[in-house]
Amino acid sequence: MSQVSLRRLAKRFGSFTAVDDVDLDVREGELVALLGPSGCGKTTTLRMIAGFIAASGGRILIGDQDVTDLPPYRRNTGMVFQGYALFPHMTVNQNVAFGLEMRKVPRAEIGPRVAEALRLVQLDHLGERMPRQLSGGQQQRVALARALVIRPEVFLLDEPLSNLDAKLRLTVRVEIRQLQQALGLTTVFVTHDQEEALTLADRLVVMSQGKVQQIGTPTELYERPANHFVADFIGRSNFLAGTVSAPGRFRSRGGLDIAFADDGAGPRGEGVLAIRPEKASLEAGTDAGTGANRFPGTVVFVTYLGAATEVRVRLASGEEVTVTRHNATPLDDPRHAAGDLAPGNPVTVVWPPAAGLLLAPPPA
Amino acid sequence: MSVAFEEAAGGRRRSVAPALVGPATILVVLVLVLPMAILFRYSLNQFVPGQFMVEAVTIANYVRFFTDIYYINVLWTTVQVAIACTVISLVLAFPVAYFLARTTSRFKSILVILAVFPLMVGNVVRAAGWMVVLGNDGVVNAVLRWIGLVEEPVKLLYTPTAVIIGIIAVVLPYMILTLQSVLEGIDYSVEEAALNLGAKPSTTFFRIVLPLAMPGVVAGTVLVFILCMNAYATPVLLGGPQFKMMAPALYDQIARSTNWPFGAALAFVLMATTLTLTIVSTTVMQRRMRR
Amino acid sequence: MTIDIARHWRRWALHAVVVLVYLFILTPVIFIGWISFFSNEIIAFPPDGYTLRWFSNVWEQRVFARGFVMSLQVAFISMLIGVSLGTLAAIAIVRYRFPGRDTLNMLLLSPLIVPGIVAGTALYIFYIQIDNYLEWRLQATLEGLVLAHVMLTIPWTVRLVSASLVGIDRSVEDAAMNLGANRWTTFRRVTFPMMRAGLVAAALFSFITSFENLELSLLLVGPGRTTLPIAILQYLEFKVDPTIAAVSLIQIVLIGVLMLITDRFVKLSRVV
Repeated sequence: MSQVSLRRLAKRFGSFTAVDDVDLDVREGELVALLGPSGCGKTTTLRMIAGFIAASGGRILIGDQDVTDLPPYRRNTGMVFQGYALFPHMTVNQNVAFGLEMRKVPRAEIGPRVAEALRLVQLDHLGERMPRQLSGGQQQRVALARALVIRPEVFLLDEPLSNLDAKLRLTVRVEIRQLQQALGLTTVFVTHDQEEALTLADRLVVMSQGKVQQIGTPTELYERPANHFVADFIGRSNFLAGTVSAPGRFRSRGGLDIAFADDGAGPRGEGVLAIRPEKASLEAGTDAGTGANRFPGTVVFVTYLGAATEVRVRLASGEEVTVTRHNATPLDDPRHAAGDLAPGNPVTVVWPPAAGLLLAPPPA
Repeated sequence: MSVAFEEAAGGRRRSVAPALVGPATILVVLVLVLPMAILFRYSLNQFVPGQFMVEAVTIANYVRFFTDIYYINVLWTTVQVAIACTVISLVLAFPVAYFLARTTSRFKSILVILAVFPLMVGNVVRAAGWMVVLGNDGVVNAVLRWIGLVEEPVKLLYTPTAVIIGIIAVVLPYMILTLQSVLEGIDYSVEEAALNLGAKPSTTFFRIVLPLAMPGVVAGTVLVFILCMNAYATPVLLGGPQFKMMAPALYDQIARSTNWPFGAALAFVLMATTLTLTIVSTTVMQRRMRR
Repeated sequence: MTIDIARHWRRWALHAVVVLVYLFILTPVIFIGWISFFSNEIIAFPPDGYTLRWFSNVWEQRVFARGFVMSLQVAFISMLIGVSLGTLAAIAIVRYRFPGRDTLNMLLLSPLIVPGIVAGTALYIFYIQIDNYLEWRLQATLEGLVLAHVMLTIPWTVRLVSASLVGIDRSVEDAAMNLGANRWTTFRRVTFPMMRAGLVAAALFSFITSFENLELSLLLVGPGRTTLPIAILQYLEFKVDPTIAAVSLIQIVLIGVLMLITDRFVKLSRVV
């Protein structure tokens, strides 16, 4: 296993820039997820690492080797395709053996290695089947075995779970992570599903319009989003537009005077304050009370989600915020969220200053 | 009873379907099946010069065909030309079909139409074009003389080569379109997977693309082979009077010699040969594919 | 960059083959068109000059004018009958389950497989025997040719219309009935418009197959009652000159225009 480095990697199609000077280091044995909406350049980046698309600029290094100019078949990457791309005219064994044959591995060695790879994905009993005789999940595992058996320097996964049903997706997700950790695979994973990325990856690369927005661990991305796009794309946020009136004070357009933890890093003047819905809480009634950031309002809409209840509240300023309450108590407990809330109820929304994160306003 | 087809409430009456297919079926039976049956019956009749046709049940016409060196040669020429044209058109069509199947160019639909167009124009008109290109005063000879490569015109028209060129041009569009439709169905990511696993482009072609395109290769080969075996206008116009293939020979028997029984036998020898060779080659190709 | 060099080389080679094959296919059509404007009657390259007089010459040659009209008549009538019969059959085959459905489908497609010259021979003998026994003359008549050509156009219609019917999502019809349309209205307002692409394609292919047909018609025509392709063939057996090139160009242009018109209704690249 080797590390992968992208240095100012770029891809332009005519005047359109699909990937814009991406810098990234994937450490040995690390799983990095490329995450972003469709058309953000994540798949193009992955396909450049595999060599299916020639880079317009920048370099790609796998280990110590510059592979930028090598065709796909000279790079030692193992890719799992979105639709699996199994060879429909070959048995499972033949599919898995293909990469070994191409590497001129002696025949005597191919059999055992294929068997071992299939054992790894628990398919050793299905070697003689044709791909079309397998279920989606099984095909997925064949694709994994086929990519792994060649002992690639880098493991590449292009939305490998998107063709599976929801239940199976969770199981396969765990299996991929276990395999990756057990074998210490340097892995690049493309997905548009943030939950998938957050649960699987050591680090995430959030991309938008060809540019890297932020690179970081799941916690960093969720708790300290670098900009409005990341805060909006990862998880959910309430955004209040306004201006910084004084250090640590934010005045929203509707006129709320909000205290926030000001580390001086955020912008001055125009800005956006992001508050995660679960970091705010609700109190019944509109008592002024004491403490920072207490804003009275009216319940507009209640969504019961089982583990939590989402409450949309219109504040006196006219701005709306969503608050998530966890249904941690039994239903007959008076503190249960769903018990006492209905549209029209007066409530007070409260959040600690540290919950507000000041960000630059999104580009118009 | 299991119902294969769900009928909506107040469903359609069963008698509708026969009424819909009836007219077309009756027409095809009357205009194709019945005449073919009669033709076959006549191939067993006897031809007595001066008496035209005499009722009989004899295989004499077939025996005559296979004992007459002239007709054996006609059949042999036809088979040779058909095989040559089929193989060459397969080799030429594959890259074009692959290009059409994989290109994302906006000219793709224009290119497909350009392939269909000559096919629609008809064989006679295209044969006329080749006569102009290959004739003694034709384009090729004019160019050769202009370059100074030859003094006297090279005989190109009225040769077997001219017929082969003409037939290949006729059948190429069919081969291209058949292969293209199958190649379109092969997911490009399968080729990428092979490249990713270390297969060179040539290996990817022979191990992945070609085996997966085999149904198209078989279909195209069969279609084109049948068309080649039955070619009429091209051999008549480009082959000259000495050169005979089966379809023109059949026409001569009926129109010029008015020997119906022998002509009928000729028709069925032609169809039977085509069918046999088609089945044999398909089986061979499919066995190859399975290995 | 090495990837690019290898890739470009392969792509360049592929493009070169594509261009050459296209040139090869189009060569006869291009040259016959060019020659129809040559001023000298004996073809020689390069020509002394250009003229349009061969096109007027074509109309003076009665065979071609009559052949053209005959071909148009046959193709048009055969198209009308063939498309009607074929469409009805396609509806039955796609939408109904009845015993022998697959066999029937094969039967209706069989005219594509039987060699034209063989079918023509069989029909010629059949027509002559009908005349002998029933005294109903079909050989070398418009009706006889039309009958033969309808048989030829049915498989095209069945194939193309079936394909367009299979592609129609049945739930769309269910939606129409759910909104209160009865079966006939559903067919007229929903199903039929969705079949239109297939029908236009079927009409075009039927017309063209009939118009340019040679082998099947060869024995079914008579002196003075000849189709255009046969008139051209008979002339070509005798000589090639700008007149015949002009006739050919007329046929080429007619078919080209028909294809372009059709392409406005249905993308030809999708139906073929």
